[in-house]
Amino acid sequence: MANAVQAHESVAQADAHAPHAHIDHDTNTGISNTKLGMWLFLASECLLFGGLITTYLLYKHPLEGPTPKEIFDIPFTSTSSFVLLMSSLTMVLAVSAIERGDHQRLRIWLGATALLGATFISGQIYEFTVFVREGLGFTTSRFSSAFYTLTGFHGVHVTVGIIMLMSLVLLSLRGKLPEHRSETVEIIGLYWHFVDVVWIFIFAVVYLIP
Amino acid sequence: MAITSHDPIPTSQLDGAVKDYSRDKVYVLTALFLGVLTVVEVLTYAFPDFPAWSGNLVIAVLMILMAIKFFTVVYIFMHLRFDKPILSWIFWAGLGLAAGVYFVVMCTFRIFWPGSHG
Amino acid sequence: MAIIEAPAPDQLALPSGEVDTEFKPAGVFTRPKSGSTGWKSWLTTVDHKKIGIMYGATALVFLLIGGFEAILIRVQLWSPRGTLLSANTYNQVFTMHGTTMVFLVVMPIGAAFANYLMPLQIGARDVAYPRINGYSYWMYLFGGIFLNTSWLLGGGADGGWFNYAPNNGILYSPSHGIDFWNMGLLITGIASLAGAVNLIVTVLNMRAPGMSLMRMPIFTWMTLVTQFLLLFAIPVLTVAQVLLMMDRTFGANFFNVAKGANPLLWEHLFWIFGHPEVYLMILPAFGLVSDMLPVFARKPIFGYPFIVFSGVAIGFMGWGVWAHHMFVSGIGPISVTAFSLTTMFIAVPTGVKILNWTATMWGGKLRFTAPMLFSIGLVTMFTIGGLSGVTHSVAPADTQQTDTYYIVAHFHYVLFGGAFFGFIGGFYFYWPKVFGYMLNEKLGKANFWLMLLGFNLTFAPMHILGLQGMSRRIYTYDAGYGFDLWNKVATIGAFILASSVFLFIFNIFYSRSKAKSLPPVGADPWDARTIEWMIPSPTPEYNFDPIPTITRVDDFWYRKYGETTDGKLVRIAETDDVVQKRSDGKHIHLPSPSYWPIVSAFGMPIIGYGLIFNLWLCLIGGIIVVGGLYGWALEPADDPDAAHDDHDPADHGSDDGSAAAAITEGADAGDVATEKEPETVG
Repeated sequence: MANAVQAHESVAQADAHAPHAHIDHDTNTGISNTKLGMWLFLASECLLFGGLITTYLLYKHPLEGPTPKEIFDIPFTSTSSFVLLMSSLTMVLAVSAIERGDHQRLRIWLGATALLGATFISGQIYEFTVFVREGLGFTTSRFSSAFYTLTGFHGVHVTVGIIMLMSLVLLSLRGKLPEHRSETVEIIGLYWHFVDVVWIFIFAVVYLIP
Repeated sequence: MAITSHDPIPTSQLDGAVKDYSRDKVYVLTALFLGVLTVVEVLTYAFPDFPAWSGNLVIAVLMILMAIKFFTVVYIFMHLRFDKPILSWIFWAGLGLAAGVYFVVMCTFRIFWPGSHG
Repeated sequence: MAIIEAPAPDQLALPSGEVDTEFKPAGVFTRPKSGSTGWKSWLTTVDHKKIGIMYGATALVFLLIGGFEAILIRVQLWSPRGTLLSANTYNQVFTMHGTTMVFLVVMPIGAAFANYLMPLQIGARDVAYPRINGYSYWMYLFGGIFLNTSWLLGGGADGGWFNYAPNNGILYSPSHGIDFWNMGLLITGIASLAGAVNLIVTVLNMRAPGMSLMRMPIFTWMTLVTQFLLLFAIPVLTVAQVLLMMDRTFGANFFNVAKGANPLLWEHLFWIFGHPEVYLMILPAFGLVSDMLPVFARKPIFGYPFIVFSGVAIGFMGWGVWAHHMFVSGIGPISVTAFSLTTMFIAVPTGVKILNWTATMWGGKLRFTAPMLFSIGLVTMFTIGGLSGVTHSVAPADTQQTDTYYIVAHFHYVLFGGAFFGFIGGFYFYWPKVFGYMLNEKLGKANFWLMLLGFNLTFAPMHILGLQGMSRRIYTYDAGYGFDLWNKVATIGAFILASSVFLFIFNIFYSRSKAKSLPPVGADPWDARTIEWMIPSPTPEYNFDPIPTITRVDDFWYRKYGETTDGKLVRIAETDDVVQKRSDGKHIHLPSPSYWPIVSAFGMPIIGYGLIFNLWLCLIGGIIVVGGLYGWALEPADDPDAAHDDHDPADHGSDDGSAAAAITEGADAGDVATEKEPETVG
């Protein structure tokens, strides 16, 4: 690959500049500290979302106010779930773009991921406003509190992810994301996929299971 | 530019680099697969009386579909499959622990028993 | 500053034709210089040793606060119908006592030892993410201060350290105390979680050549287990606290019984966190004792793999016993039986440890120094606490013991008699390594006996009081129940205990003033076994130079001693010949200090106050946090212009990739395979 030869030169140069730690991992596990740290964090997040989902399952039958069955708009949520799912694809494509040294595509795919994420969030905000209009306020019932807290927590995670993706795009535009730092993209990708995976769970357990 | 004292450093040794980029194709196919599963999930809602998922069977069907989607993303998109096993161990530790303790909590609340709500 | 004036390195061409521009520090936040001294260097430090010392010092201050609260409790209970505290104040005092001791004293002392010692024990330069390490400390400090400011802003939390629902609701606790408790612990929780990720990565990734997992000192092992427990336990507490915050601040219904909520949810979530929590408080002390006993018995630890795996087993099984705190809550006979059984089983790995410590001492040449006395104190006192703990696993008995002073006696025996004795022993043991002078041995022994006496006088009578039926968390009692005598004994004991803590603090200052007239302690004052004793005391900033290659457990010991064929110990090298000499460390690249950890941590308590008093404050706090994190993310982890001699700025711009070679030149080729640079990404 012609591309690769070129990449070698600049990578060597990059390492001469911001050295040694990036040449090889120099760690006992062979995994970089950042990646190991991110996986540990994600493992810990399993217990966070697990607790919120448990709370929801415990409280999903309200004593008063609208029930899940009455209020959920499955076709709408299915669409936004699909959007979030596809953002995972654009995310992995962004990672492979930077590993190839293709900065243009990196930015396109990162931007697409952020856009899909933003679409999902807009959908969620719309969904919340509709629910509130239909009489499901945050304090209405045990179901409403649990539902808004769980999905809201997930929404905050997505938002944080979008901010990180946009920051990556800006960094890349300013030339601060050379391919020897491709792991940064990969790790933010891990976070992004995890948020997606949590939604896969929520979509099935909260929305679809009657 | 001339590289004098050191051999070039192959990209494959750099953080996160993959050796062959044909994985893009894998990613697209995976996304298609996930899309199809999502369609099946939604179908259980659209056609609740279809015999494959009628009645309480739908819970099992949805949980299985969800699990397949979940681990497809984790193992392909988050490339646990291609990564060092210790990462899988760590993730499984968190996931398994969460599943275990929260399942027990739900059991003590008897939420899987019929008529326990209200 | 020189950092700005340094010549800009050549810009870097990327294949896409872009350039990698150099980071320009912004205005007041010019990057602090590495290796500087003075108070500023403490604010910006990323050095795991300084952070460890700060953790320890802060925890001792909180110990005095929590101890003062304990004394208030004991004075109130000195006689029937005590009048020192009102019922309301008493509730706040015991709640804050428990919260302070658990979250701001015992856990942080564990973190102090983990931060200071663990990188030394594995031969690392620093932790994996030095800046996150600083962030953890500041979050802990600010969270602790935030929690204690509740005293000035309407009173402390008053629901007990576990704040059961629905008592923690706005209806039963209308003051802001529980909000402070909730937010304060969320902040320290973030600190613990970040610390957990950090320390686990450090242990897994940054060990010296040859330091396989099964060659690590026990303390490092226990740190690993502890941090895994934190990693998984903290989010569960976070969930509970988020639900509580939603209830109290935004009117949600998680614990609102009127809307069908189940208050048991809080108990479950709290104890799923809370039981691993008690193990993660005790395991660091177990680790310290497992490293101290072999030194003073002059024998290797008995059954190294057993002691390691029993620690791991405690870590695992600690997740399966939480409901034994809830036997009287009506969780049903099946749950009670199951959790009774798991609770009985968890005594097994703990018993294995006790056996191993006893067997380590058996037949050894024991030296009864202060650290040794405290270690033996842990083994004995913890055994008493462990045995009373097993009685809780018998559900019918537990039903009688729940919420009585018997429980109070039990957990003080394991936490004070266990964890705290181990920590004080650890202080005596590691003081020369950290500060370069020994704590006075005579005072140390007096300290031990006084503490042992005071401790047992305080807490042993509580077993009797509890079985007589005296409830915990009740601000007074009537005469005629037979509680008078033992309460008086306990109060006297509490004062003796307090004086022993003051004796320890006095010893610090006394020994420091005497140290100048004594010869320097040298690297290895105790004739110790693990590699942290190989480096000069106090520890140089760069830790090891060169990083040693490890060949077995207790590597340092076997550099000094060998064994004859009939198993006799013989000295093979003088200590002075095997310890490292202090070098100028100029060729060693250390992580650079940074302002951003303290800045972004500072925003968190402001968000906390905002959630309690005025949501606009949250915005200000949020801007500080986010701004801090951006400054942090944009700042390179390593300051490329930080001074280290044979790595001069010209290297940075060179295109021949020689920087990596330059960094290893200073290393002693005989001892070290490859000089490891910490990968500093935090």
